[in-house]
Amino acid sequence: MDKKPTSYRHTIWPFALIGAALVVALVARSQLVPASFGDAGHFRADAIEEARRIAPRHLGQSDCEECHDDVAHLHDKDAHAGVACETCHGPGADHVAAGGDGGIQRPAGQQPCLVCHELMLARPGDFAQIVPAEHYRLVGVGDERTECIACHDPHEPLFMDHDLRTARLHPLIHRCRDCHAGRTDETMARPAGHPAIFQCDYCHGEIARGFADRPHHRMRCATCHLFFRESESAGRILRDTDPRFCLLCHRGAEFRSSDAPPSIDWPDHRADMAEHATDLTKRCIDCHQDRIHPLRTDAAAPGDTPRGGKES
Amino acid sequence: MKTRNRKSDRPDESRRHLLKLLAAGSGLLVFPLGSLPTRASAADGTGERPPYWAYAVDTTRCMGCCACMRACRDENGVPKGVFRTWVERYRIDLDDEVHVDVAMHDDFVFAPAPGDVARAFFVPKLCNHCEKSVCNQVCPVGAAYRTADGVVLVDAEHCIGCGYCVQACPYGSRFINPESHVADKCTFCYHRLARGLAPACVLTCPREARLFGDLNDPQSKLSVLLRQRPYRLLKPELGTHPKCYYLGLDREVV
Amino acid sequence: MDFVFPNELNVTWTVMIVLYPYITGLVAGAFIVSSLYHVFSRTELKAVARFSLASAFVFLLFAPLPLLMHLGQPQRAFNIMITPNFASAMAGFGFIYTAYLLVLVLEIWFVMRSSFIERARCRGGVAALCRLILLGNLHEDEGTRRADHKIARFLAGVGIPLACLLHGYVGFLFGSLKANPWWSTPLMFVIFIFSAIVSGIAVLIFHYMVVARLNGWKLDQPCIRSLTGYLWGFMIIAVALELLEVLSIAYKQTEEWEVLGMLIRRKLWISYVILQYLVFSLIPFLLLGINTLFKLRDRLANAMIWIAATMLLVQVLLMRWNVVVGGQLVSKSMRGFTDYLPGVWEKEGLAVAAAIFTLPFCILWLFNKIVPLFPEAKPRT
Repeated sequence: MDKKPTSYRHTIWPFALIGAALVVALVARSQLVPASFGDAGHFRADAIEEARRIAPRHLGQSDCEECHDDVAHLHDKDAHAGVACETCHGPGADHVAAGGDGGIQRPAGQQPCLVCHELMLARPGDFAQIVPAEHYRLVGVGDERTECIACHDPHEPLFMDHDLRTARLHPLIHRCRDCHAGRTDETMARPAGHPAIFQCDYCHGEIARGFADRPHHRMRCATCHLFFRESESAGRILRDTDPRFCLLCHRGAEFRSSDAPPSIDWPDHRADMAEHATDLTKRCIDCHQDRIHPLRTDAAAPGDTPRGGKES
Repeated sequence: MKTRNRKSDRPDESRRHLLKLLAAGSGLLVFPLGSLPTRASAADGTGERPPYWAYAVDTTRCMGCCACMRACRDENGVPKGVFRTWVERYRIDLDDEVHVDVAMHDDFVFAPAPGDVARAFFVPKLCNHCEKSVCNQVCPVGAAYRTADGVVLVDAEHCIGCGYCVQACPYGSRFINPESHVADKCTFCYHRLARGLAPACVLTCPREARLFGDLNDPQSKLSVLLRQRPYRLLKPELGTHPKCYYLGLDREVV
Repeated sequence: MDFVFPNELNVTWTVMIVLYPYITGLVAGAFIVSSLYHVFSRTELKAVARFSLASAFVFLLFAPLPLLMHLGQPQRAFNIMITPNFASAMAGFGFIYTAYLLVLVLEIWFVMRSSFIERARCRGGVAALCRLILLGNLHEDEGTRRADHKIARFLAGVGIPLACLLHGYVGFLFGSLKANPWWSTPLMFVIFIFSAIVSGIAVLIFHYMVVARLNGWKLDQPCIRSLTGYLWGFMIIAVALELLEVLSIAYKQTEEWEVLGMLIRRKLWISYVILQYLVFSLIPFLLLGINTLFKLRDRLANAMIWIAATMLLVQVLLMRWNVVVGGQLVSKSMRGFTDYLPGVWEKEGLAVAAAIFTLPFCILWLFNKIVPLFPEAKPRT
């Protein structure tokens, strides 16, 4: 039987066509690869430049200082040092672009303060937090709608008059909430049988005992001696002596309730005392020390009080 | 590892008051706690080294105000419902049960939570800018990349929006941007770094819980801090070599 | 146990990405059947040889469609071939797909050349189209036929590894993601290949029986019996592998089982345990087993086989769903789960999915109008 030989001629064209398509695809690919692709790795190197070109919205302290040097300077010396202007005021780019005319947030009401300072579960114990109602009761604010800024200038909230960075170093003081993070009913009283922890009265026993007999005993030591926790083992302690710090509680105002701490009229109070009227170095505690606690004595050295906490 | 020598215009040395810097600088305060990163050991001091950016989160300092989330949204125009950074609140109750939540609504303010817990704390999260980032590995078109200074970025002009990187990221840091339809994530505010500014979240954090710096500079605040304080990485077992160092991180955090 | 990272609330890979591996699975499975005839000379499969090849081809044409529907920037889809990042498992897609498509187109050309020539000799538009497909060359004799057969057989052989690669690689794409405990297993590659073969055979049985019924054809009973045997065998392997993967994690009681066990109990109990295994695996297993081991009356046997094949089509779809969606329900925080229910009318919704899945069948119908896919079919007596 005469077999016809296998004929492949007709198969050339389909393969040739596919070969041509592949060549076209390869050429097209080489044309379509973005310009800077592969220059710095397997990506479009120009993308880096594009990522850099985006305009910032937050400008930073130094830009704010160019116009608001005074506020920024105030800000430096108080508890909000380290809080950027734009944390509270929002991004400043629009404000600068508008030549300082608008384009910036001016926080109002209590909420912008409470975002940070409301007592909240999981907030570290060394951070200043309040339950607004309790705080207002303590300082005698009758109207619950009173804004925080009625007493606290946000740029100078505590009139510390110290640079935080220069405050005294101090071993760590524990507060109840350092351990009891979830407890919101913190009191000054240490429950019987509670293990000893490092507290103010261990070293400053005499001052603490004297303090207990005087009208300020409702407050914690750290309410005035602001404590700033800096590491696992140490912090910085501030002793505030600016009259305006005392006035946070003692200045008379319409919003004070009847059971408010004793109020005075300021600055009339200073004017009333002829001999001090012009002496601006005079501090409240120069006259009213006895209302707070005995002054530091030689006995207030470490080891003065046994560390076992047996006294309670 | 990288060697480094770099000066002055680092964002982490910005004009803000750096309490941490003080803490780090003062020998009285710091107690080496036995967790020294090795990467800062090879400074040769010859010439200018490019920076190698990294991030640290001090979880003992974060107090959950979420200023970082607001700043990130405003700085980068992050749409609603997706997050380049977020703050997790951990509550571990007395039965060791862990509850986690995130303030997701418009103002990013945490809702009141039940008390009586064994411990509770906040953990800010963001892209870890991994040295061996899975997202870069899996991007089919080369739209995910790492810059020489150690920042993982997305080429939004080249990305096809397949979402493979979103699946690959073990940290949930990536998302498909609902407006641009391409992958999106934290950039360490790369546009700000280029101008010598700190990332927006670092700038606006009122508690210095977020820190940013140059690992190539052994004297940078970050390098010093990482030599002095113990830290943890997130999911190190996955071999991604994350570059966000979590100081004082609780064991429950993933 | 209820926390998910905030970016995980919305599932990224939708029902489109469920559909994509489902369709490539049908391609791979149908192609394996055609290769059983063309390469391994299983002559009893002659009745569905052309049909399976054409099915593989049309499903392959539509495989990228769900991907394009899913892409955020579909107009940039070709970036995957222009600047492929070969460190990525996904970068191979364009090349494997193209290579496989070329093999399939060529194989169809060589297998069906005679039929195209026959059609091209008529008049009208379809004939003109056929002449174009044939590149104008209508010459045919014993020599060209022998060449066509040899080349087709070679291409069918080359196509087997490509089919496994195309589909197994989809499994690898999931299995290689270390961030996801539900996906991250080397078994994924193998599971996908075997489930693909199951779905491919099942769709051929399903479709062949429907077409035969509609046209009043007599079913090729030896072919059906053979397909039934293959289907039963491959489904046993596929289901065994799927079970093996989960059971080994469950038995080892590793840390990831804590969250995966909860995923199965809380989120996938119905779609995975009840539907995928208890209903859509167990019943077809029994139906096919009975028909493989016993000889029933043709009418009864065919009904049972058709039900089993249809159920296995659903089983594989459920498996794709449980892998693709199930894996995304677990938060990478390992502390909770998100939810996903596809919408009906959205871009990546169920209506589009149904349309994409229906289109290949329509194209196949058109294909049959040009070149008969069942040249051997005889009317029922």
